[in-house]
Amino acid sequence: MNPLSLSSLGSLPPGMLQQLNQLTRQGLTTQEFMQPTKSPETDFKSLIMESINQVNDMQQNADVAIETLMTGGDINPAEVLTAIQKADMSFRMMQQIRNKLMDAYREIKEIRI
Amino acid sequence: MLTAMDISTSGLIAQRTRLDTIASNIANMSTLRDENGEAQPYQSRHVIFQTTEDIGTSYGAVGVKVASVELDENEPIYRWQPNHPLAIKAGEKKGYVAYPNINLNQEFVDALNATRSYEANIGAIEISKDMGNQTLRIIA
Repeated sequence: MNPLSLSSLGSLPPGMLQQLNQLTRQGLTTQEFMQPTKSPETDFKSLIMESINQVNDMQQNADVAIETLMTGGDINPAEVLTAIQKADMSFRMMQQIRNKLMDAYREIKEIRI
Repeated sequence: MLTAMDISTSGLIAQRTRLDTIASNIANMSTLRDENGEAQPYQSRHVIFQTTEDIGTSYGAVGVKVASVELDENEPIYRWQPNHPLAIKAGEKKGYVAYPNINLNQEFVDALNATRSYEANIGAIEISKDMGNQTLRIIA
């Protein structure tokens, strides 16, 4: 919709004009969205390394929690078990992602040129 | 997903603290001296919870923590025991001994309530755990 046709609708209530303007703006953003994507700000490797570090942190937290509990430290057993469960879950999540990556890698390796 | 587990764990810790105070109230139901050795009947403890943003999400889910443990202000129970070493020596209550005013029924109902709340939090953790495992099915 060009601006000329919009200005010719001047007799319409101002609220409706605003709505129309918004609609055209939304259309623009959709077009921008459809354009080829720019390169992402963080690369895949650092993303993976970051998540591995997070999983590692959780494992270490769980270790510390177990040690504190076993040496009679001031910690609630529920906290320890939650730390263990969180470490386990995040590790399994990471493992699944790793398996998927390795699958993709193998698939690509099999491609004949 | 993992925050939900943290929030439920804060609930577990809070309910356990509540059970600690209930245990304290029951254990001290005939305690006549305070921690300084003064003749002061034990006053039952009430644990007060508050929300905490230390454990929670950016969109408003919050954990729970113990704000304070308050003393009950109710009157002690007076029993007529003139030969008791801690009997009140003078005044209107002469010959009476002040005993803690612990309502056992109330304490046991509170204990049951704390246990059930603990159980409920365990249930919530279990659900979060199941959800996590289900999520893994997307990729597996």
